[in-house]
Parts: sequence; C-alpha cells; structure tokens
Amino acid sequence: MTPERCYPYATVLPVLVVVALFTVYPLLYSAHLSVHENVLTRPLDHDFVGLQNFREVVTGYYFWRSLWSTAVFAAMAVAAVALYGLGTALLLNQALLGSALLNVVVLLPWAIPTVISGIIWRWIFDGDYGVLNGLLLVTGVVKRYVPWMSQPFTARLCMVVAHVWKQGPLASVFLVAALQVIPPALYDAAHIDGAGRWRAFRFVTLPYLKPTLGLVLIYETIVAIATFDLVYVMTGGGPADATAIIGWYAYTEIFRFLNLGHGAALALILGVMLLGLVMIYLRAFRAEDAT
Amino acid sequence: MIHLTRARRLSVLALALTLLLAGDPPPAHAQGGPVTLNLVSWSYGVEIVRDNVAKFQQRYPGVTVNYSDFSWGTYHDAMVARFVGRTPTDVLYASDHWLQEWAAAGWIIPIDEPFPQVRQYLAEYSPFVREALTYKGRIYGTPYYADTFIFVYNADHLQRAGISAPPSTLEELTRQAEAIKAKGIAEFPIVLGWGQQDPFSIESFTSLVFAQRNGSLFDKDFNPVFKTPGSAADKVVTWAADALGGKKIMSPTSLQAANLDQIRSLQSGAATFGIVPSYTLAVLNDPGQTQLAGKFKIALMPGETRATVGFIRFYAISAQVPRRGKDAMTAAWSFLDYFGGKIDGEYRITKRWSLDKGLGFAQTALFADKEIRAAFGKWADVDMLQKQAQLARAKDGMTPYYGTWDVYSRAELHKAYLGQQKPAETLANMARKWEELKAKEK
Repeated sequence: MTPERCYPYATVLPVLVVVALFTVYPLLYSAHLSVHENVLTRPLDHDFVGLQNFREVVTGYYFWRSLWSTAVFAAMAVAAVALYGLGTALLLNQALLGSALLNVVVLLPWAIPTVISGIIWRWIFDGDYGVLNGLLLVTGVVKRYVPWMSQPFTARLCMVVAHVWKQGPLASVFLVAALQVIPPALYDAAHIDGAGRWRAFRFVTLPYLKPTLGLVLIYETIVAIATFDLVYVMTGGGPADATAIIGWYAYTEIFRFLNLGHGAALALILGVMLLGLVMIYLRAFRAEDAT
Repeated sequence: MIHLTRARRLSVLALALTLLLAGDPPPAHAQGGPVTLNLVSWSYGVEIVRDNVAKFQQRYPGVTVNYSDFSWGTYHDAMVARFVGRTPTDVLYASDHWLQEWAAAGWIIPIDEPFPQVRQYLAEYSPFVREALTYKGRIYGTPYYADTFIFVYNADHLQRAGISAPPSTLEELTRQAEAIKAKGIAEFPIVLGWGQQDPFSIESFTSLVFAQRNGSLFDKDFNPVFKTPGSAADKVVTWAADALGGKKIMSPTSLQAANLDQIRSLQSGAATFGIVPSYTLAVLNDPGQTQLAGKFKIALMPGETRATVGFIRFYAISAQVPRRGKDAMTAAWSFLDYFGGKIDGEYRITKRWSLDKGLGFAQTALFADKEIRAAFGKWADVDMLQKQAQLARAKDGMTPYYGTWDVYSRAELHKAYLGQQKPAETLANMARKWEELKAKEK
C-alpha cells in the first residue's frame, strides 16, 4: 500500500480507537451484562440468561410507572426549555442597555454543575426554610410555608424548574446564534409588506430557527429522558416515587439494587427508546421541510 | 552507560549507607515494611479523623494513611463504585445496614479469623452491637460508634401546652400533638426524617415499630411478620398516614426531610417531636446553633415496649488488603484496633468521639465513665440515654437483599402516608417484594 493510500487510514485510526474504547466497548460490555446474571451480592453466579433481564425489567414494579413519569417530565421540561431558550434568545438578540450583563445572568447556570444547581434548588424549595417560601410569605402570596417537594405534583414541577434553569442557557446560545444569521433585509421587506412583529416572527424568524429548534428539541429530549443527577440530589425519587424517572432507575438498579444485569438491560432499553424518538423527530422535520 | 571511578563508587556507597542509617530505627510498633493504607469514610468530623490519623501514624511510623471522604447520603453508592472499579480502598467506614450486602459481595472481609484478638472486645459490647457486627457467625469490624434512635421533644412546647410528661404511646403522642397544634404552638408538631433519599428513614420507621407490642418486622427465619393485619408495622403506618393526611399533626416536610432537615425544623421551633440518632440531641441542644438549646429532652420511644433500633457504624477491612500481603493486613488490623479498640488499655478514639461530638458507643461500660457522663449531661439525661440503649435492638431482616428491599419500601411507605394506597396494601407489597428477593437469594 502506498503512503498516499495509507494516509487516510492512519489519520482516522486514532479517532476510531478512541471511539471504540469509550463507546463501542462499553456498549458491547453492557450488551454482554444484559444477557447474563450479574448481581453483585452473588459474585459467583454469572450464567447466561438470554433476555430474562429485559423481561424482568419490563415486568418490574417500577417500569411502566417510571416510563409515564419520564414522559410527563420530558414533555414539561423540553417544552419549557425550548420556550425559555427562545424567549431569552430573542431578548439577548436585541441591542438593549445592559445586554452584556443579561448575557452573563442567563448563561451563568450553564456553568454551574448539575449537582450544585440541584442542591441550590433543593434549598430554595425547602418546605421549612426555603427562600421561595420566605418570598411568597412576605409578599402575601401564601399564608404559610408550602412543602413543595413533599407532594408528588409540586415535586415534579420543582424538578422541571431546576432542569430548565440548568438547561435553558444552552438552548439560548444555540438560538441566539441562529437569530444572528437571519438577514436584516428580510425584516425590512416584511415591514414594507405590512407585517407586524408577530407576522415577522411567524414568517421570517421562525422558519430560520426551525433547524436549530429541531436540534434543541432532540438534544433536550435526550437530556430530559436520561436525567438522573437532579433526582439524585433533589428528591431521591420521592415522594412515593413521583420523581423517579427511568434514568434514575437505571442508576438505582446498579448502585442500590446491585443488579448490573438489570441495570444494563434498562440502559439499553432507554438507548433504543431515545434512538426511536430521535428518528421520529428527524422524520417529522424532514416531512415539514418537504412540504 | 555511566562509568564510575573506584573513588566515586565508594562515595556513592557511603552516601547510600549514610542515608540508610540516617533513617529512624524501627520503633516498637512499626510493621514489617512501609505500608500505605487508603482510608475511606463519610464526611463527619473530618478534622477529628485527620487528627486521629496523624496520631495513628506517629504510633505506627511505618504506616501512611491516605484519607478520602464522601457525604453520608452518597456514601453507599460511592463505595459500590469504588469496590466494583477496584479503586484502592483498604480500611473504611461501614454500616450494619450494608454489612450483609458488602460481605456477600466479597468487598469486606471477616476479621476474626486473621485477628482472633478482636473477640476479646465482644464481651464489652451491647448485645445489639455484637449482633449487628456479625454476618454468618463472623465478625467484620471494630466499632466507630454505636447509637440508638431516640424520641426527642421540646419541653418548652409541652409546658406551654400544659402537658406534664412526654408521650408514652402513639395514642398519647397524637393527643399531645393535637393539643399543641390547637394552642397554636406548632402547626405541625411532629417532624420525622422520612425523605426517600435518607438512609436513616427506614431505621427511624423501624424504631417506632420496635416500640409497639410484638414490634418486629421479620421473624428469626426472615419471614415478614409485618404484613399481618394489626401488626406493629400496620399500627405505625396507619398512625403516620393519619397524622400526616388526617389530623395534620405531622409536618408534610417529613417526606422530604433528611436528618439534618429534621434538626433544623426542631431547632427553629417549628416542630415539637422528632426521632433522631441520639448524638443528634447534642446538636439540638448546642447553644451555638439555636436559641432553643437546652429545651430538647429525650423520652423513651412511644409504644408499649419502649424498644428502639440500635445501630452500629464500624471500621472494616476491604477484600483488597489480603491480596496486598501480610504487612498490609497487619497494618489494617493495627488501624482497626487503634480506632475501634483499646489504646494503652482505654478506648481512646471512641471516647474522643463521645466527648467531642456526643457519639454513642458500643461498650456499655462507658456509660459509667465520669468524663462521658459529664459531657453527655450537658445536652441529655444520661440515665435516660442509657435506659433507651438497654432497650435497643439490632434491626431485624439483615440480609444481603435488605438494602434493595429498603429502597423499595421507602417509596411504598410514602404511598401509604400520602393516602395513595391503604397501609395494608403497602405492607402487602413490601412483603411480596421481600419474598421475591428472598426466593432469588436461594
């Protein structure tokens, strides 16, 4: 083989090795774990069990319930992140006084690790000494402290708020970048044609943002469904498993129930579900582009 | 290759000899060779741990200790990751909660075979400590501290409500809480650390079960007795659901609270009654933390038997140590003996934790120690503490699958407390889960 023919292989090889090491190998190892019995408290039993782990996970006490919790959480979180991202992006795109400061304020949560932001929000929402309760009490909105994270519905809302605060800035960054490449001449033309702000947004801004919004939706769906760190820090899945979403159970199976076989099976199911969702998104966007 | 002249070779040899001789001669306590021990603990009294480690290293100059710590709430999971990932871990904090699990997984080793001298201490321990340190007849460590769950109350609240004595049964607790609520002293007089994320929550629940008549969760063959209608667990779950959702005398924040949240709630005066590990009473009555210091008292656990959970946190040796050889094993035992055993005839480290932090102890004789009585007397009725300790029992159902059942049960209990399902349904589900796990273990 001539050096010219070797060159492309040689340049691609290191990347392939890294990908194989950090993606392909773990994936294959997970697949191996998922078809073997692997309970850490029974270290000598590693029989091949076929699809038994998958069957046990799907028929387990938490699977369908947590799937529903995940769907509810993801629907609320993705919609809220997209709206927050869009709103702040439109704001940041204006040449307003103090926009540099606004940039920092909006982007700051992105730089804070999720675990830290989870702790912060746990304190804010605390039913005994939380800042939110203090604020609402002083302003007369509530008459007594509200145990936000002790009721299933409000606990879910608290999780969504914390998630949006953390994830919203990334959506903002994407959308600001998309907004900045829209030719101003299009807005001028729209105004000449008599379009108001809403119609200019609807027929100029939105079509330009669509590919980026698609990206944001796909990414945020993946992040929301795979969330476990916020649950870990804020609620531990409670109360009554109301915030125990499926990513949390993948973690729990491994680290609490010590069942690597179940954990790997659940992680693979989760991966396939995400792949399916991404494909549905992509098809939907392609179909819209075609029309 | 480097070529040395004869004179230079002699100089190098002389230098090497000098360096060798300049080192300290091996002291009386030194081991066979220099050994590094990796110590892992949860984050509590870290400065005291560091100081104790420094003193240990002075006494055993051949042993160096690398210390790392993780928060209590994340400790179990962090240790699982360390064990599975084979991160160097030699000596560690462990809990009776996880003993069976970690021993069955082969992560920690029994110490009474390589170091039979550990058995000399057993006679000095409370019965619940001996039971809680044992798995399949083998001893797995030396005590870091041993404590009991105690019932605490704000004496000032009781006085203002015209109540002369703390409750002795759940029914009395309900009546007193209703009276305190009616007088506007506290809207939710009872606060418990029953957040789903807190490992203490099942122990606090079990304490209340133990205090009731026939108060057990499992029989000696590990059959769940709690599912029987009218069982002690049935009584406790029904009472809690009513206190939370019916009479509204239990703070709703109990379902999100960890031990620390419970302390803050009591210290702020928002609640009157709580169930805490006994050392927490030292924190509750710390004048540096609350204006209510001194108001918090201990009473025996409300129920017919007044029993409670006694628990042990201990120093264990990881299964990595034997693979490192005899020196490492000897060093690890020296560590366990120094920290959990006697130094020059006295339990120096144990006593230090008691004096500095109010931690309980495994050794019953320490209740007679003058210094400890004086120190504990600043924040508690020591006789009452001792009385409750004498009524303490190790948690029953201790098996390798207890941890899995615990995680499942915390959520099931929440469902009953929130009225999502009846107590009987919750207990039946918990029993079914237990039987399922037990069957798999066979």
